[in-house]
Amino acid sequence: MGCQVEIGVLLDADSTGADELVTLAQAAEDNGIGLALVTGDRHADAWTVATWIAGVTKRIRVGVPLSAEPFDPMDAGAAVPAVVTKAAATLAALLPERTPPPGDRWTVVGAGADDDTIRDASGSGTPVVPVRSIADVARLAPLAAAPMPAAPAGRPRRSASALAQRVRGIDYDAVPASLAGRAVEPGDPGHHAVSSTYLRGGRPGLVLRPRTVTEVADAIAFARDHRDIPFGVRSAGHGISGRSTNRDGLVISVGSMDSLTVLDASRRLVRIGPGRTWKRVAHSLVAHGWALGSGDYGGVGVGGLATAGGIGLLSRKHGLTIDHLRAVELVLADGTPVRVSDTDNPDLFWAVRGAGANFGIATAFEFETSAVGQVGWAQLTLISSDIEESLYRYGQLASQAHRDTTVFLVTGRERQGQWVISLYGVVDNPDPNTVVARLTPFLELGQLARQQVRMTDYPGVMDNAADIGPDGQQGYGEPVSRSAFVPELTRGFAREAAELLSTDLVYFFELRAMGGAITEVPPGAMAFSHRSPQFQLTAMSSSDDRLRAEWERLRPHFDGLYLSFETDRRAERLLDAFPGPVLERLRRLKAEYDPTNLFRDNFNIPPAALPVSATADRHQAIATKEAA
Amino acid sequence: MNDYGHDLLFGSFATPLAQPAQRGVELALVSERAGLDLVTFQDHPYQTSFHDTSTLLTHVASRTRTIAVSGSVTSLPLRPPLGLARMAATVDQLSGGRFRLGIGAGAFWDGVARMGGRRLSTGQSVSALREAIGLIRDAWDPAQPWPLHHDGEYYRAEGAHRAPYAHHRIPIWVGAYKPRMLGLTGAVSDGWLPSIEYVEGGLSGLADANKRIDDAAQEAGREPAAVRRLLNVMNVSLTPTGRGFLDGPPKLWIDRLTTLALDYGISAFMIGGDDPVTLTRFGTEIAPAVRENVTQARR
Repeated sequence: MGCQVEIGVLLDADSTGADELVTLAQAAEDNGIGLALVTGDRHADAWTVATWIAGVTKRIRVGVPLSAEPFDPMDAGAAVPAVVTKAAATLAALLPERTPPPGDRWTVVGAGADDDTIRDASGSGTPVVPVRSIADVARLAPLAAAPMPAAPAGRPRRSASALAQRVRGIDYDAVPASLAGRAVEPGDPGHHAVSSTYLRGGRPGLVLRPRTVTEVADAIAFARDHRDIPFGVRSAGHGISGRSTNRDGLVISVGSMDSLTVLDASRRLVRIGPGRTWKRVAHSLVAHGWALGSGDYGGVGVGGLATAGGIGLLSRKHGLTIDHLRAVELVLADGTPVRVSDTDNPDLFWAVRGAGANFGIATAFEFETSAVGQVGWAQLTLISSDIEESLYRYGQLASQAHRDTTVFLVTGRERQGQWVISLYGVVDNPDPNTVVARLTPFLELGQLARQQVRMTDYPGVMDNAADIGPDGQQGYGEPVSRSAFVPELTRGFAREAAELLSTDLVYFFELRAMGGAITEVPPGAMAFSHRSPQFQLTAMSSSDDRLRAEWERLRPHFDGLYLSFETDRRAERLLDAFPGPVLERLRRLKAEYDPTNLFRDNFNIPPAALPVSATADRHQAIATKEAA
Repeated sequence: MNDYGHDLLFGSFATPLAQPAQRGVELALVSERAGLDLVTFQDHPYQTSFHDTSTLLTHVASRTRTIAVSGSVTSLPLRPPLGLARMAATVDQLSGGRFRLGIGAGAFWDGVARMGGRRLSTGQSVSALREAIGLIRDAWDPAQPWPLHHDGEYYRAEGAHRAPYAHHRIPIWVGAYKPRMLGLTGAVSDGWLPSIEYVEGGLSGLADANKRIDDAAQEAGREPAAVRRLLNVMNVSLTPTGRGFLDGPPKLWIDRLTTLALDYGISAFMIGGDDPVTLTRFGTEIAPAVRENVTQARR
């Protein structure tokens, strides 16, 4: 018989009647099968069949693989995507735990697949087997081991060769039961898909993938018992400063916690899980006429960005992403779930907005979104033979632009006496004439080589990112990146930046225009305190040492750095990210909430020496527990 | 005045509130236990505090045995006709014939557009509904040639496949108030499904609208009785003293509903309020008495 795995059945409404499908699903449940997927688009309605099955069974999860086709109102057989999304939310609300958790993956295997094929497929998601008769279902019974909703997931068994790839220092048998079924080890078929992040290669010894707050606490407990190995926390795996992958260490990935719920339409208040990408956030909000400014790339996850800042293409009009936060829920180092807001744990709410990675694993964010309709979205390519002058003029134009206009500049190495300048800009104004008027001055920065300006909604801007496919992120090696805030783009800065760009050192040089709404929040309101600079500069290179030296030369033009784009881990960089008094306050809070410094992968703030305070006993208790 | 002679139906006109999630399901179960014939839910997909009505109706039907379900009324612009036909036929088949299709041309166009639906003018929306009803009936009709081809003003279907066989001929009830919609209702529908609160002129408006429907039916070569007349009453209350149309003691309800049946041709009554106690008394005390009165009077 061999080992048991979680198995699903595929029910095809095109070839089998609805009544029969319900009978097959009931038989599947009786045989320990955990998932029923209904497909079909030409006969019985698959969603209706799935909903019905969920209503007449007790345990089996039901779902419909969704295809995202653009809606054509003339097509009598089309479905409105937002209604499809809403239907899924309704079923999940009516029958919690009965729909596949967000981010759940499955692999459809052939109807005649043998047991080994089915087992092998389980590494990359639940194997789903087409069934057309009770006999088909019965054949799967010996393999199937459906987890009961209240019971721990099955602990997959692994072959000897898979076990041989385990790394020392990780107690694999101690993985909490709630996480074992979805844990990924180096010998598992799906390991390659969870190894890399956007710009970084890696080979984690264990990836835990919690889906609930309780499971996050379980994962943190496991991390507390593994202090001597690298430890990273991942939302969507885009991070540059955060080490959300590593070699032979532990990664807690909250990518499956990616739901989005509207809490209060009148306030445009939404609740978003940390694993959702900003592209998906944009697509979910647009139906309401809302948007939430993020960075400049749709593939970034909510969790990493919303705990750091969020300097994006809507920022001059609508502020930083964290300016829209109304509450965050996170699990602390000791496993305690907390809610932070202006009224609940306000100190921690202050800290989370800028230094969140140091304080816990966020499980949900509540944002007040902005009303955003059609915007002008510009992608311009210009050729400059005088990069110093182009940078200087860009600085003037971008900082003096109307606040509805946010234009970023990207350039790189000199090529035969010329630089290619890419401008990315959003004009949050529905009037095409205004959009053109706002953007026209930027055309003087060089010789126009390519231009694309169109009216679109915010998803149209965020669609610049490709979806992360089944093979995960593809980063390789270790990125070298520097960040700085530039208070004002002076002639002196332009001159020295042009010198830097005349070497072959920097292949990516980005200026993000700030100002506008960003400046309207007091610098002390959050741990992110860089409210006055006009620009944020990011430079990437292949040589850490040489870039470090060049950066020192430019430093007089800088005032602080944005931690998300900084890979330098030296302690003095902390004072660039957080001014002295801010850092002191963060260190005191770190001592209170993470005294043993469990969360250390992303701009680690060392805890202050334990204060003599009422909280000392609690820390003592934690320390004792850790020692035991 | 008219009595079209239909058997009487009693039901609930419920709000598909998303919170608490089970609220709508509980109201349906209460309605079934009270012996009511129908549970209907509003359909406003753009209303964020509501469930998706189609999913809720399917779920309710899967959890009940005798009561029929319907949207009241389904928003056509957000539920294109072929998908709607397939959904309806699937529920009808699985539930043993307990689906009814309440449908409307669309309202709250800002909400429709926000969800990604097509914004139509009032006139266009009536024409689109007429076209859609034809398409839905074709999709249900086993005698139609397949695959279905349709190239209309508002909808296209190219080689579309048939909906599954429904358990019975699903009636199409139209939410209508204005003359063109009433004309459509009389010409092609199986029922008229308004809410009394929105009928201009109240009870006398009912009589005027019935007349328009009768005329349109006859013009289309149909009997007026082919169109059942249903009625939602949203504001209801069981109180010791009479204060409103359906706000008073059971006796007041019984008298007024009997009058509606015998003099205004209304043969289905759905009440709002989302109150389990009122629904229970509606089903167990009021409905049997109204039925008895009407049976006596029809003899």
